[in-house]
Amino acid sequence: MIEIKNVTKYFRVGFFGTRKNAVEDLSLDIDGGKVTGFFGPNGAGKSTTIKMIVGLIKASKGSIKINGYDSFDYRARLKLGYLPENPSFPRGLKGIEIINYYAKLLNKKINKNEIYDALKLAGIFYAKNTQAHKYSKGMTQRLALAVSIIGDPEILIFDEPLSGLDPIGRKEFKDIIFKLKERKKTIFFSSHVLADSKELCDRIAVLVNGRLIKNENLENIEKEAAVYAEEKKEDRLSGEYNTPLEVYLYDLMLKNRKN
Amino acid sequence: MKNILYGIMYSFKEIKNSKIFYSFLIFALILISGSYFVSQTSFINQGRIMVDFSIFAISIFNIFIGIFIGASVVYDDVEKKSIFIGITRPVKRTEYLTGRFLGLAAAIIFSTVIMMFIFYFVLLIMHKFIVPVVPNAGAVVSGAKSAHNNFNLQNRSAAYAAPNHPFTFYMLPQPLIIQGLFIIIESIFISAAALLFSLVTSKALASIFAILIFFIGNVSSRMNDLVKPVKKIIKGKVVIVNQANHILTSIVHFIYTVLPNFSIFNISSEAAYKLDISSGIIFYRLIYGISYTVLLFIISSLLFARKDIS
Repeated sequence: MIEIKNVTKYFRVGFFGTRKNAVEDLSLDIDGGKVTGFFGPNGAGKSTTIKMIVGLIKASKGSIKINGYDSFDYRARLKLGYLPENPSFPRGLKGIEIINYYAKLLNKKINKNEIYDALKLAGIFYAKNTQAHKYSKGMTQRLALAVSIIGDPEILIFDEPLSGLDPIGRKEFKDIIFKLKERKKTIFFSSHVLADSKELCDRIAVLVNGRLIKNENLENIEKEAAVYAEEKKEDRLSGEYNTPLEVYLYDLMLKNRKN
Repeated sequence: MKNILYGIMYSFKEIKNSKIFYSFLIFALILISGSYFVSQTSFINQGRIMVDFSIFAISIFNIFIGIFIGASVVYDDVEKKSIFIGITRPVKRTEYLTGRFLGLAAAIIFSTVIMMFIFYFVLLIMHKFIVPVVPNAGAVVSGAKSAHNNFNLQNRSAAYAAPNHPFTFYMLPQPLIIQGLFIIIESIFISAAALLFSLVTSKALASIFAILIFFIGNVSSRMNDLVKPVKKIIKGKVVIVNQANHILTSIVHFIYTVLPNFSIFNISSEAAYKLDISSGIIFYRLIYGISYTVLLFIISSLLFARKDIS
């Protein structure tokens, strides 16, 4: 479904344009019909990777293919929905006008009911006639989710979908992801909240300092976590993290961090 | 093509609802309506003053719309990250950019048409500068010839004389309509420059660069004339009596050659004296403006296609 092969992305920084790698030699296959969680600390390169997948930025080296098309090719996005981190919409347009416009850009006919269903699923139907710049953060996030799921895309890519949401919003958002999971959608989402890992994912990928340090399905990684917890014989479950998996992922990130 | 059309409509709607667009439009309308009071400062040629003042207001505010919205139409999308959702739909980047740019062009046309209508109504109320058109009485300016050919004042006066006919309606004279068209072309042209700059630098700098280009483009032809050597015929021979510094001459000539010449779009003098503009001149200036705009837009598209949006 999505094949990432030896991808490196560097940016030029500073006055002399020094090369700084954001992602280094990343290879990752995202399987169809599964939920893949992409975890890592802040600045690990998760958003950069996602932006490369959806064609916002071009990889410096390597290739990314979606359904056989290069990620920069518009055809790669025919069956793709994307929810960016902290989405925003232009001023002065109503929610319904915005979703109507994005629905028209899909190369297929979308009827009114499908638009309403997407708005209802995202829980923003009641505010469809309100101008989007008057929305709260949660409402904007919901509208962006509705836009991403319109047209029933096969692949859904969510960049930090739960960040900045209140507990009720988080719960509702997770429920939506569960519903989409039931519909056998391919979901790839990034997060730095480890508690999301077990609940939502079929597969977990961990990125630290631009390098992929783990890419396993949930069962295997849980086994590793159990063995790790046994070896350490340290009870940290009552602290910040509640499961051996969270502790394992946390230590994995900590060990691989550069500083 | 369908995606571009949707992009134009979306972009137009967004720009039409923006505060900056409204502010410029309302301010221009106030100035046009106020041109009557300005004209009262003169005892003679009040109509000409009204025309001069209103054309200036329409031109400058459309240029402002072109520059400030042109510099922000894509830049703000990237800054506010609203572009993320748009560009990750199955659309080509060129389609997206074309939609945004043509939406802005539509907004410029919309604002110019509104301003010209208000201007027309002001002239209609004042009964100045408008041309009577009588149904079944032949072409309104049939006797008039081009300002750039042999202009016949007698015929012109006859053509503009208001007849006492029950079904007479009034329209703007040809040069004023052409001036409106040139304002549209000029504003879209400068907005293409602002868009291009906004892709390589910040919004503020893009606006400043566009204003500079506009200013230089307006004075470059006069500057070029100024540095030309002054020649006299002395005793049957052409003698150069005064010549500017060679380096200065080369710089001015280079600027004149490379940068667009915006002064050709200003025909306010012809409009103020109701001199018809020949179709050849209209065609040449339209092609000049459109070609430059297309060139700038192609460069913008090439840059935008390779741009990392993060």
